[in-house]
Amino acid sequence: MNIQTPVRLSAAEEALVSQLESTGATDAAERLRVIGLPTRRVESYHYTDLKTLLSAVPPLARQGAGAGAPAIDIPGAYRIVIANGEVQNTGTAPNGVIVSKVAGATLTTRDDVLVRLNAALVPESVSIELAGDVETVVHIDRRMEGEAAHVHSGAKIAFAPGSKATVIETVSGSDAGHMGNAGSYVSVGENAEVTHILVDLSASQATHFASLEYRLSAGAKFKSVVINAGADLARAQIFAEFTGEGAHGDFYGLNLVNDGQHKDITLDVTHGVAHTTSTELYKQIARGRGKAVFQGRINVAQDAQKTDAKMMMQGLMLSDEAEILTKPELEIFADDVVCGHGATCGDLDESWLFYLMSRGISRTDAETMLIRAFLEEVVEAVGEEHVIEALGGVVEGWLGKAG
Amino acid sequence: MKYGAASGPETKMTTPLLEIRNLHVRVEDNEILKGVNLTIDRGQVHAIMGRNGSGKSTLSYVLAGKEDYEVTEGEVLLDGENLLEMEPDERAAAGVFLAFQYPIEIPGVATLTFLKAAMNAQRKARGEGELSTPEFMKAIKDASGLLDIKQDMLRRPLNVGFSGGEKKRAEILQMALLQPKLAILDETDSGLDIDALKVVSEGVNRLRSDDRAMLVITHYQRLLNHIVPDVVHVFSNGRVVETGGKELALELEAKGYADFDESHAA
Ligand SMILES: Nc1ncnc2c1ncn2[C@@H]1O[C@H](COP(=O)(O)OP(=O)(O)OP(=O)(O)O)[C@@H](O)[C@H]1O
Ligand SMILES: [Mg+2]
Repeated sequence: MNIQTPVRLSAAEEALVSQLESTGATDAAERLRVIGLPTRRVESYHYTDLKTLLSAVPPLARQGAGAGAPAIDIPGAYRIVIANGEVQNTGTAPNGVIVSKVAGATLTTRDDVLVRLNAALVPESVSIELAGDVETVVHIDRRMEGEAAHVHSGAKIAFAPGSKATVIETVSGSDAGHMGNAGSYVSVGENAEVTHILVDLSASQATHFASLEYRLSAGAKFKSVVINAGADLARAQIFAEFTGEGAHGDFYGLNLVNDGQHKDITLDVTHGVAHTTSTELYKQIARGRGKAVFQGRINVAQDAQKTDAKMMMQGLMLSDEAEILTKPELEIFADDVVCGHGATCGDLDESWLFYLMSRGISRTDAETMLIRAFLEEVVEAVGEEHVIEALGGVVEGWLGKAG
Repeated sequence: MKYGAASGPETKMTTPLLEIRNLHVRVEDNEILKGVNLTIDRGQVHAIMGRNGSGKSTLSYVLAGKEDYEVTEGEVLLDGENLLEMEPDERAAAGVFLAFQYPIEIPGVATLTFLKAAMNAQRKARGEGELSTPEFMKAIKDASGLLDIKQDMLRRPLNVGFSGGEKKRAEILQMALLQPKLAILDETDSGLDIDALKVVSEGVNRLRSDDRAMLVITHYQRLLNHIVPDVVHVFSNGRVVETGGKELALELEAKGYADFDESHAA
């Protein structure tokens, strides 16, 4: 059995193969032709069977698209637009920030179809270096514009040692069935204090994939927030690696899932060296027949003694048909560590609703108050006031959508 | 019905504020309330005393509209309207307020946000516009000052980490802000220190008026020295077994419940 029979390709797979071939990415094309898109039999895609979920792939994005108004406007932020993968004119960068373009993608090679597609199909990436105390929030505004398109974009964000900065990335664009594939490589220098945020706000007909790679150096204090609030089918993959002692990371995320949507956050944190600590808090909320998926994996290397990692998933189901799935995994090779995970899932607490209603608050308003309370913990973890306000707006926007 | 509608000295209307007639209530498979009869007129304060587990809180929850209770018989009229058909928020709009025996902690909901939502919901029900922030803050400052409640407590999530006594005070603060027609106080005195009991009782007494009524559930005669009731009911095994004036509370304190159990139920 050493000859692999090529799988029968679906229409989406055929389209992806020919897109890869058209750009000369023959190896990636061949690999996809042989193994196809991941199905539920592939562990990391168990709950997000791309072969079934991806029915069509729009044509590769053409460049030269104009970008509309930003999906969220953060007062005082320095904004860099990437429209249909093309890094646009960026204006004068604030003090401590250097922006340039680099050819091709930025993610490290990894055995993952979305990463391979990103590596092969990103035309150019933005490169941002941040040093010192950068008070201006940097906003990477990724856009999928015009007719439905398959859009690949990349960013390389390097926080210098000792820097302090907040970078928020948003994905949004025209009201069309786009398919996005965004990659970010984020390195956090020694003792830097950094927040990185990614918010998917793409159209509800769209599909969006994101892969984030974090490298955390010694003494770094890092916060990551990932919010899926847009695309019908979304998957955000977070690959974080602690590479220096004394680093701490807080990882947060929200899956805001409407009826019929499927949203996935897949987290893979590696404590590669001793004395690093992390917390992970992911919240998922689903309406109608929405499906929310969180997979969280924490790896502790053999030398990574004194690792302390606590992972938590909280789910809130707003209907009987909603599905919230969670798979925590700990893989620990060191013996002197503290690692834990927990998960809670349920619907709105009736006794809380009753208490609020007994004070005259209508059921709808009481529900909204409780959902907002559930989600706010993650939004408020961000720290930066204007960003909290903007993300609060994202949550309100989701709350305002009809169930 | 010695102390019923006719006894209210200043009764102006013929309809009592609250009328509970032969109320039977089940929880799961247990009948908890077994034919409660109780009539309260405007301007009156009624006290209910009774053993643990006799159904006092159940009665208060049924009046406030908590789910999970099945009314199998009887009716409850507020101002002549069928209370049992209303949702909890509609009952609040109609003037019912329950000070919970165990106020609920709700993480993530700021107390002030909640108070504002409650006050505005009530204004909306009356067809009034929303309170401005300065109006709201003034109302809070005045009411919490009278109840000796610190402002920073109100900035915390609703009831979360409040001490037992602080929770009870916060309930009375809500009552003072919402100015209900019918206030049901379920063991508001439990958990209060001596000074707090005075402050809270004064808060309750300030609300006494000709067009309001109160139903005060307590185990201790002591509270009734501060909030002097017009009528005292003894509750036993899911119903009212004895009704009298305020001296009934003293009698209970002296004799205990044994004399009032079942056999006295007429
Ligand atoms: N949800 C429920 N399921 C089953 N039994 C219940 C439920 N709620 C109340 N009961 C029972 O009903 C009875 C009356 O309870 P209730 O809380 O009304 O008593 P109470 O008079 O307020 O007592 P206390 O003085 O201790 O506050 C108790 O035996 C209690 O166990
Ligand atoms: Mg009770």
